[in-house]
Amino acid sequence: MCTAFLLLLLTFFAQAQNENITVRGRVTNESGQAVSSASVALKGTSIGVTTGNDGSFQILAPANGTLVISSVGFATIEVDIKGQTTLNAKLTTSGTTMEQVVVIGYGTQRKEAVTGSVASIAGDKLRDIPTPNISQALQGRIAGVDISQTSTRPGATMQIRIRGDRSLTGSNDPLVVLDGIPYIGSLGDLNPNDIKSIDILKDASATAIYGSRGANGVILVTTNRGQKGQKARVSYNGYTGIQTVFAKYPMMDGPEFVALRKAAGVYSTNGLDEKNDVNTDWQDLMFQNGLVTDHSVSLVGGTQQGSYSFGLGYYQNQAVIPSQQYTRYSIKASVDQQIGNFFRVGFTSNSNYNLSEGNQIGIYANLSNTPISNPYNADGTLKKTVKMTLDEQYVLTQDRIDSLHDAGTWLNETRGFASYNSLYGEVSVPWVKGLKYRLNLGGDFVQSNNGGFTGAGVNNILATAVSSANISNTHTYHWTAENILTYDRSFGAHSINVLGLYSAEQTKVNGSSMSATDIPNEAFQFYNLGSALATNITVNQGTYQQSGLMSYMGRVMYSYNNRYMLSATVRSDASSRLAPGHKWHTYPAVSVGWNLVNENFMKDIAVINNLKLRAGFGQTSNQAVPVYSTLGALAQRPYNFGSAYAIGYYVSQLPNPELDWEYSKTINLGIDFGMFRNRLTGTVEYYSTKTEGVLQSVGLPPTSGVASIVQNIGKTQNKGIELTLNGTIINNANGWTWDAGFNIYANRNKLVELADGKTQDIGNGWFVGHNINAIYDFKKIGLWQKDDPYRSVLEPGVDSQIVGSIKVLYTGAYDATGKPTRAIGTNAGSDDRQIMDVDPDFGGGFNTRVSYKGFDLSTVGVFKSGGILISTLYGSAGYLNLESGRRNNVKIDYWTPDNTDAKYPRPGRNISGDNPKYGSTLGYFNASYLKIRTITLGYDFNYKLLKGSDVKLRMYATVQNPFVMFSPYHKESGMDPETNSYGNENQAVASYQRRLLTIGTNTPSTRNYILGVNLTF
Amino acid sequence: MKLLKLNIFIGAALLLSMGGCKKILDEQPRAGFTPDYFQTLQGVQGGITSLYAHLRTIYGQGYYYNTCETGTDEATYAQSADENFKVMDISGQGNITSSNSRADVIWGPSYSDINTASGIIENGGKLGVSNALLAEAKFFRGFDYFLLVQTFGGVPLDLGSGELKFNTSAIRTSKRNTVPEVYTKTIFPDLTAAVNDLPDAPRVTGGVTKTVARLFLAKAYLTYGWWLENPNNIPTYPAVANRTDPAGHNAQYYYQQAYDLAVAGISNAGANYLLQPTYYDVNLAQNDRNKEILLWADHTENSTYTGGNIYDGNGPNGLNQDNYAVWMMTANYTNIRSSTSSTTWAAISSVQREAEQHLGRPYNRMCPTIGAVKNNFPDKTNDSRYDGTFTTVYRGNWPKGGLTNPTLYNANFLPVTPGSAILSFLDDEPATAITYPSGAGNSNVGAGTLPGRPDWVISPNGISRLIYPGLWKMGPYRTDNGTGLGYPNAGLTRPFNIAKFSELFFIAAEAAVKGATPKAVTGPYANDGSARALINVIRARAGKWRFDNNGNVAKVQDNSAAMIAATPATIDIDYILAERSREYFGEGYRWYDLIRTQRWTAYASTYQICGAAAGDHTIQTVTRSIDNHHYLRPIPQGQIDAMQSSVEEKKAYQNLGY
Repeated sequence: MCTAFLLLLLTFFAQAQNENITVRGRVTNESGQAVSSASVALKGTSIGVTTGNDGSFQILAPANGTLVISSVGFATIEVDIKGQTTLNAKLTTSGTTMEQVVVIGYGTQRKEAVTGSVASIAGDKLRDIPTPNISQALQGRIAGVDISQTSTRPGATMQIRIRGDRSLTGSNDPLVVLDGIPYIGSLGDLNPNDIKSIDILKDASATAIYGSRGANGVILVTTNRGQKGQKARVSYNGYTGIQTVFAKYPMMDGPEFVALRKAAGVYSTNGLDEKNDVNTDWQDLMFQNGLVTDHSVSLVGGTQQGSYSFGLGYYQNQAVIPSQQYTRYSIKASVDQQIGNFFRVGFTSNSNYNLSEGNQIGIYANLSNTPISNPYNADGTLKKTVKMTLDEQYVLTQDRIDSLHDAGTWLNETRGFASYNSLYGEVSVPWVKGLKYRLNLGGDFVQSNNGGFTGAGVNNILATAVSSANISNTHTYHWTAENILTYDRSFGAHSINVLGLYSAEQTKVNGSSMSATDIPNEAFQFYNLGSALATNITVNQGTYQQSGLMSYMGRVMYSYNNRYMLSATVRSDASSRLAPGHKWHTYPAVSVGWNLVNENFMKDIAVINNLKLRAGFGQTSNQAVPVYSTLGALAQRPYNFGSAYAIGYYVSQLPNPELDWEYSKTINLGIDFGMFRNRLTGTVEYYSTKTEGVLQSVGLPPTSGVASIVQNIGKTQNKGIELTLNGTIINNANGWTWDAGFNIYANRNKLVELADGKTQDIGNGWFVGHNINAIYDFKKIGLWQKDDPYRSVLEPGVDSQIVGSIKVLYTGAYDATGKPTRAIGTNAGSDDRQIMDVDPDFGGGFNTRVSYKGFDLSTVGVFKSGGILISTLYGSAGYLNLESGRRNNVKIDYWTPDNTDAKYPRPGRNISGDNPKYGSTLGYFNASYLKIRTITLGYDFNYKLLKGSDVKLRMYATVQNPFVMFSPYHKESGMDPETNSYGNENQAVASYQRRLLTIGTNTPSTRNYILGVNLTF
Repeated sequence: MKLLKLNIFIGAALLLSMGGCKKILDEQPRAGFTPDYFQTLQGVQGGITSLYAHLRTIYGQGYYYNTCETGTDEATYAQSADENFKVMDISGQGNITSSNSRADVIWGPSYSDINTASGIIENGGKLGVSNALLAEAKFFRGFDYFLLVQTFGGVPLDLGSGELKFNTSAIRTSKRNTVPEVYTKTIFPDLTAAVNDLPDAPRVTGGVTKTVARLFLAKAYLTYGWWLENPNNIPTYPAVANRTDPAGHNAQYYYQQAYDLAVAGISNAGANYLLQPTYYDVNLAQNDRNKEILLWADHTENSTYTGGNIYDGNGPNGLNQDNYAVWMMTANYTNIRSSTSSTTWAAISSVQREAEQHLGRPYNRMCPTIGAVKNNFPDKTNDSRYDGTFTTVYRGNWPKGGLTNPTLYNANFLPVTPGSAILSFLDDEPATAITYPSGAGNSNVGAGTLPGRPDWVISPNGISRLIYPGLWKMGPYRTDNGTGLGYPNAGLTRPFNIAKFSELFFIAAEAAVKGATPKAVTGPYANDGSARALINVIRARAGKWRFDNNGNVAKVQDNSAAMIAATPATIDIDYILAERSREYFGEGYRWYDLIRTQRWTAYASTYQICGAAAGDHTIQTVTRSIDNHHYLRPIPQGQIDAMQSSVEEKKAYQNLGY
């Protein structure tokens, strides 16, 4: 099978021949003036040149080829060469956006002809937000693409969700495709300066072409390439800035804390290092100003037959926490070369080396130190620990961290190297016009090495605590081979594009790690774990995963008279992850479009320049089945027979050869429109995705001897609408131009079915009819007041304990007199906890740009409304709102006999464990916010100073995160309302499912002041 | 030409990359085991190791430990108890339910273990595994079923692939067998095979042997005998028409079987198992894994192999495999205060949290009842077992915590030095009444003073839910403390003892009390085999002292004669139970002893303790409402929830009363 296909392909190579001619010409506008920088491309290829200042061009093209000529602001035209060596072309003015070419899976398409849901954003628009990571720049920019922060540490990447969550146990991350090759790395590995455009495929009719990986949407990243004949240009983009803490954590100061401890009455005596007249701001002792620096240099150019692009980047971010920083060096190269008339080869390489340091430093100990404890000895030196009333804590300040860092006795580093490479060869088949064969080969290597060292007694109240060190590494190898055959041809009013693909790819990941304690020589840090006593060394379990995917795919795109469009796709994927006999699955998709505006009856409606209706349906899936999971698993458990060590095995997971993917079916309806000479353009979309066969680990009865089995039972659903508007509100009126963009979207996520018709799975936090992201907890409805009716029934206890404590919703019955029949609780049959959906009602973003005489002022903002924000700082998980005076507390308005309408309960009463009873309810806030992400003021020196020069220079000043509005959380805490942690991180007791994002004790978010320059010559 | 070269290049690349077209769809795990591994010899051996390792998930697990002690005459809940502990007390603090009963700790791990054992028994024979090794698997299957049947009544023998078969199906229903079926189909045959095929000396340290199998088989016969006899009409579940043995034997037959096996165990132990010279030596940490211990869940001072983290209680498995039972019955002694000044009270922590056998991590979840201290240990002078069970004296260790004061001031502002008694629990009520503070007082734990004594004192009648003697016998010990406090928060690096050689004497004696015909015991413990003679072996040893543990001084004394003299002429079941409590206090035997003999209601329906507030030394008598249904624990809710059955079927699956 394989071999036959290869032979067929080789035949194509051997036969490929045709005759190329040099075509010269000039591109003008309606009034005969030269159009410079217009694109002249050979249709069906990526061969192309741009016109010079006088509108002239020269291109090598087959005598029977077609040239596609386009320029911003003009309608794209196609000209058949028909053997002519001179070709002049006239462009007519058109709208700005509709003639763009967008990248779709395995090719490009005129935006006008697109029938699926594809959203695009150009690289320069992304760079409006100076950031090391395109995921940060994408936030709020595209309707239906929800980007959430999972960490505030330098170098952290964002979580991307396209049209909601589908999977319960599998990944909900979209597939990323870099320059045509499925990308296994992190978006943080890419230098935003190298990116030309990002195209996001949102619906199944667009993503079905990626079959088993399309369900979560696809992000197509295209990097810069040179163009043939283009003059060499060097660009430098750089910025530098300082980062200040956006808001300190809202902790109490000395007098506030003393008052709280007194009100709580739990700890009547101070600790040894505490005095009521001390007022230490621990955060001031910890945080510094951060620093961010970015330098990128690129060289882009072309020769007569080829083009090239090189880029070098350096980025560094020193965090507000001492010694915490992220550094990245990146290098990018791409070369394209035409060989003869019918061959083209090229390669692209993206590599980077990055270093994350200081991530071992947490701030809980700092925040929880009581402000009345004095960190200094009488002689002015720093104490090693402070003794508070019940706890003794290691003193962690900037000075302490700096000195440990200088001494090399406390560090954690992750060093990553990644190289993503692809190579292609392309041949146009000469005797069949429009037929082309292309081979893509990709080869990637990613490695990550982590090392950590904690010296003896460091970050430990025990001075005698032994040192510890650990190292870990992972290596990822990935290759892809794709054979693509395309046929692209127009016959009169009929345009047809046919594509066939056969591809294979394989990924291998392996890793190892070890740790040791009591390193004999601290200077060894983590570099010689072997120096420790053998009994102090632990070699952890190694990891290994290899998976492969084999695919056939076919697609037909047909358009008649630019009015009616049809696209149909079929892909078959076989995956190693599924059991033999179940490996293959075929994914169909079809979509249609109708360009109403090209109909005769629309001709007279001058105000509408574009109107297109789209509809699509497709099936995709999600590679949610973990590698080897169809085979079952044994768990290991070590044991010691006295001093003899051994390892035992037992069955932890039964084999399940029936395991299958989670299949998503999506319907997508869309309208694209352009009005007022396309000064206002927009898109409205509606979609509905139903996902079936959702993987769940089904708990077996313990009597089966095995804990669980993974099965495909469960359904989820996402429905939503999206609106995108872009407009030029003022178009060069007295030198003023004002552009604005706006998007808003709402997704309704719902869990439709769980295993066995169950309506809830409390352990996993899954509830039928609710968001996949839901909380199950009591609902606070106020505080108990002295005269509240039935208080003693609902919340039994003496007044002195209960009055002022948290009152939660009672859901039980009432007797004839209206008296509740039981106490609030969670005993069997009397569970008063509520299911609360976390997802927002809607979200979106906006951007505006005003320019005047070389100055430009632009703003990018993001917003969301509704949903629940979990702050573990205020809830019971964080141990920062104990209200007992044991440790420092977040600043709150608490109940006292004189302040009975407070939000927070009476300190020290009705305690459950260490926290106020129902204390978790204090951590839920309305998640709404509107945030200005950046304001940038730029000046283009080409407006006057360098007018007409080849040197292009722009300078700008940006402030990031300047302010937040409409956020109840921000209003109360002063903090950034964006999440900064996964649900099980940065809190004292991991209390939430990891998938629920929370605000916890992570590195504080920052407000950044940046100065930058863009220089090209 | 150029073209051709290119073609060859691309063609070659294509061939290289696509060469293994089909192969990329194959899976070969290289870092994780799949169930196929049980088809290999190494897999079978690893499976047997896992059988031993599963002991850790049960023995030393603090919440399971709670179900074995709280609610008996030995223990009640303490000041920091949560629902898991309070409901076990059956004293109006909530009902035991399928959700809060922590007997789930044995349900899941036992079935996982039974399945592994069945897999070994099925595959082992084919792979040529020796009968002795297979007998270890049979031992554990019998052992697990014995634990289950005592705790829950009749339990399923079919895990999904047939009775006692290795389960490979994802079946989600379950059917319970009856108690006699469980005993006669698995416990007796499996343990009998173990007795026959196991070696006399252990294969590995702590490995099971003929003697270990004899103990458990004897105990199973004894327990089954009691079940058949059912003197107090306690219901069983699933219900059986009348308690008849499928093999047609009566209770008396099984008592005799129990007696014979236990005596055989004593007589044939050889040098492999011995009683220790003193009771102190049985539980002294430095003497762990001594020859008196038949079975234990092992732990060691190595994080990888001990099952937890040896530096704190947050290992890779949480506390799932840690030995931390003793934390539960440890009061928060770290709250005890002394003073740095001899004139005004300047509080300082003088007994700090230390990884030492008397101290360890305080969880304050369970405490001994006043009756346990006063009545279960009436003779604290001749009998060394009270001193060898409890920490009754808390001694100053402040220099290990970094405090340099050579002298501190304690009760009556009298000076104390490191190693001095800071808080003492008195053996008896003193002649002069103790002066207790109202509230926490200077001691900060509400302890009292006696004139002229520098240590805080509490008498047996003053033992409260807040402050009570700890369990020295099970306390932590490790070798890496140096001069400091060590790592008291880590799970214990000591083994948790499960069965002792001494119990063979108790089983034989109990069987004799129940009418088994005695026969002479031979070997080092030769006697006439009567219940009294057997018990006297244990009591004689209990009279031997070599060290006064709580006095912290050497004490070489032999009170054996006095101990034997005090043994009643006629031994009855109550005397056996009293002796068992003295010998095994707080080790997790008590609830099983009381339900086996159906004496729970009689022993534990009331108890005495002082309140949870500091300074509360007023005896409260608490009544428990122990009902017949409590003699079985509820089937864990996890089982009920995971079954794909109708509500009626689920209800029928649950034990009566839950």
